[in-house]
Amino acid sequence: MLDASLPTDRGRLEFNAVSKAYGPTLALARFSHDFTPGKVHALMGKNGSGKSTLVKILAGVIQPSEGTLRVNGTDTTFASPHDAFGAGVVTVHQELSLIPSLTIGENIFLGRLPMTRRLGVRVIDWARMHREAATLLAEMGLDLDTHATVSTLSVGQQQVIEIAKAMSFRPSILLLDEPTSALATREVDLLFTLVRRLRDRGVTILYITHRMNELFQIADTCTVLRDGNFAGSIDMAGATPDRIVEMMFGETAKAKRPARQVIDRSGSPLLDVKGLTRHGVFADISFQVHPGEILGIAGLLGAGRTEVMRAVFGADPVDAGSVTVAGRSFQRPDLQTMKNAGLGYTPENRKEAGLVQILSTHDNLCLASLARISSAGIVSRAGEQGFVDRQIKDLAIKVPDPLLPVSSLSGGNQQKVVIGKWMNTAPKVMFFDEPSRGVDVQAKRQIFDIIWQKASEGLGAVFVSTELEEVLEVADRILVMRQGRIVAEVDPTEITLNDLYALCMKDQT
Amino acid sequence: MSDAPTTAQRANGGLMPFVRTYTMELILLALVVFLIFTAPGFASLANTLNVLRTVAMLGIIAFGMTAVIIAGEIDLSVGAGAALAGCIVAWFGVTYAEAWGGTAALGIGFLAALIVGFFTGFMTGKFRQWFNVPSFITTLALFTALRGAANLITGGFPLSNLPSSFGFFGGGYLFGIPFPVYLFALTFVAMHFLMNHTSFGRSVYAVGGNMEAARLSGIDVWKVKSLTLALTGVLTAVSGTLIASQIGSGTGTTATGMELDVIAAVIIGGTSLFGGKGRIWGTFVGVIFLGCISNGMTLLNVSEYWQYVVRGAIILGAVLLNQMLDRSR
Repeated sequence: MLDASLPTDRGRLEFNAVSKAYGPTLALARFSHDFTPGKVHALMGKNGSGKSTLVKILAGVIQPSEGTLRVNGTDTTFASPHDAFGAGVVTVHQELSLIPSLTIGENIFLGRLPMTRRLGVRVIDWARMHREAATLLAEMGLDLDTHATVSTLSVGQQQVIEIAKAMSFRPSILLLDEPTSALATREVDLLFTLVRRLRDRGVTILYITHRMNELFQIADTCTVLRDGNFAGSIDMAGATPDRIVEMMFGETAKAKRPARQVIDRSGSPLLDVKGLTRHGVFADISFQVHPGEILGIAGLLGAGRTEVMRAVFGADPVDAGSVTVAGRSFQRPDLQTMKNAGLGYTPENRKEAGLVQILSTHDNLCLASLARISSAGIVSRAGEQGFVDRQIKDLAIKVPDPLLPVSSLSGGNQQKVVIGKWMNTAPKVMFFDEPSRGVDVQAKRQIFDIIWQKASEGLGAVFVSTELEEVLEVADRILVMRQGRIVAEVDPTEITLNDLYALCMKDQT
Repeated sequence: MSDAPTTAQRANGGLMPFVRTYTMELILLALVVFLIFTAPGFASLANTLNVLRTVAMLGIIAFGMTAVIIAGEIDLSVGAGAALAGCIVAWFGVTYAEAWGGTAALGIGFLAALIVGFFTGFMTGKFRQWFNVPSFITTLALFTALRGAANLITGGFPLSNLPSSFGFFGGGYLFGIPFPVYLFALTFVAMHFLMNHTSFGRSVYAVGGNMEAARLSGIDVWKVKSLTLALTGVLTAVSGTLIASQIGSGTGTTATGMELDVIAAVIIGGTSLFGGKGRIWGTFVGVIFLGCISNGMTLLNVSEYWQYVVRGAIILGAVLLNQMLDRSR
């Protein structure tokens, strides 16, 4: 694979047995592949497949534990993002890094503004900066005024500026990390035109995405990662969506769900959501949750799953619709009311929104139930102790000292603390938003066991995960969401993973 | 929270954790010992009571400020607020003493000052909630507006024809101890209890530690923030009344720069300006520390200008020390 380097190797990117280990876990295991120059290479894989590890290695953010990297035909090691830049590998990250209050020109040349001397003083050469920026944009076929402030641009235009900025470094390899995740359809077209133009100029493009339909529009090849391993590479000319899904998921493992009791849906539902709408985010959402039922919501990122849960819970405002909890109806759910009505919510971003990291495990476990624990507003450690101990025992939270900051716990145990915090409020319905994100396999099993256990005790649960196999495994019934609407309801025992995936991804035009 | 130091000790054992946990207390102790031997008259009963009386005015506000800063906000208006409170009380005392009797007039004035303090603090929180105006800005505006209001009330001249009994609150003694010291102690105990043993206090830490997590836990974060600011407004009114009583008049120019001393005491006491972390006890130590430094330097005949420089150095040093301790923990 690694033949002698030739000058024509510009744009060639070769991985030779590249591994990245985090402690005992291999995020990327001996990845070898040769990305040929001047093509658009798609990189696919579900969360945790090693995709982002690969991107970070290429961007110089992390260093591989083993293996070598050849860029443009030369063995290379990237000690820092700076090195990657120097070698001509430029990454456009998913999050935009533009400064909204500055102009397009300034953003493109930020940190390296052209200078000139006026009256012996070094000053910024604004004219030259805008001239060069305009040339760059023109080369890329973009018709934008470089004096425009970035905040006045659409997200799609900003994404394009981000790429223009990357191109100003004249890279031979360009990494695009989910560039379309925030874009509307017509903006995607703009982006694709640009990507094709760059490819035709000989730039090698690594295109990371989770949108199947995009692959067939833009990519020349598709390389798939699965659980840190190379799962195959395929020419798009001969590829089918089924083939790619198969590469992503492998021999579709049968879900390991326990024998679930039959849900009695004859009685009145615990949670009844009717016509919930938030303009521009989701519309006309109606569903019910019965006692003991686990309702899964499947959908791609941005389909509105999290937004719906947050709105029902009262964390975000709604424009129309009602939420009924155990017979009590609410038109405009607000958070305190919904908590008191019996709802609980474990947010997807545990670190930022689930826990107060600088407080102890003890304090975090009591956070949502202070009103229950206190009498006349007065709390004592002794009074709280029962609540803390019960959750630690019940959820098997591994915690050396509950009075130490919760930040010292592992991801899985932190997630259990978030769940325990809500269990202390004795909820009727729990919303679990990505409860398995960033936790290890064993902890994931334990968290699912907790959800099943609580459901068998009569809790209603709503479960959301980006990992569709998890939704299939955990839920009793699945709603599929696309673009802010519920588009299907499926029975997890009667649908295959591939079909569910297809339902979520179905072309949205 | 208040138990954090003990856990640090448990984790390591030995002497260093003890030193690390009680750094500020040990520095205060060293300072006191140093002053006892070098500053003439520092250890005398009269001087000690004098120091306590001075720090009482500062400390009463500083305990409230601790809650505000733990909640992730700041209040720059306490000095002006204290002046305004004193002027309100004095104005009622001067204007209505004949009609209602001195005690009633002053009492109603005090009540009015408390209400104004509560209201300005609470509205600072609400401004943040409704218009997203940081408390730094709102209280900066109040910083000048309240002092202006105080001067409007007095017409620019001290209101000093107050009933003689009024002087007791700021300047009097009860069982040989200055009266403000009792209020200082009472505020300390009450605030310690509030912050450590009530659901409100727990919420303050949570709100300052991670506002979004607190909100998603169903805590009314804006109410919590507004109430800490309102509480500080009330304590400021109490302190302002004591100051007016001690100097025997209500004037718009008292307590100038007090907000900086109050914030300094809180920070010296180890409360983090980033919110979520701090202790009422730490502020107590910080207040005493500042009081001893000022008093000690005066006794040692250090020029006033040098005193400012030294205090500045101490504030910076305390923050650096806390940063280093945080990192080593």
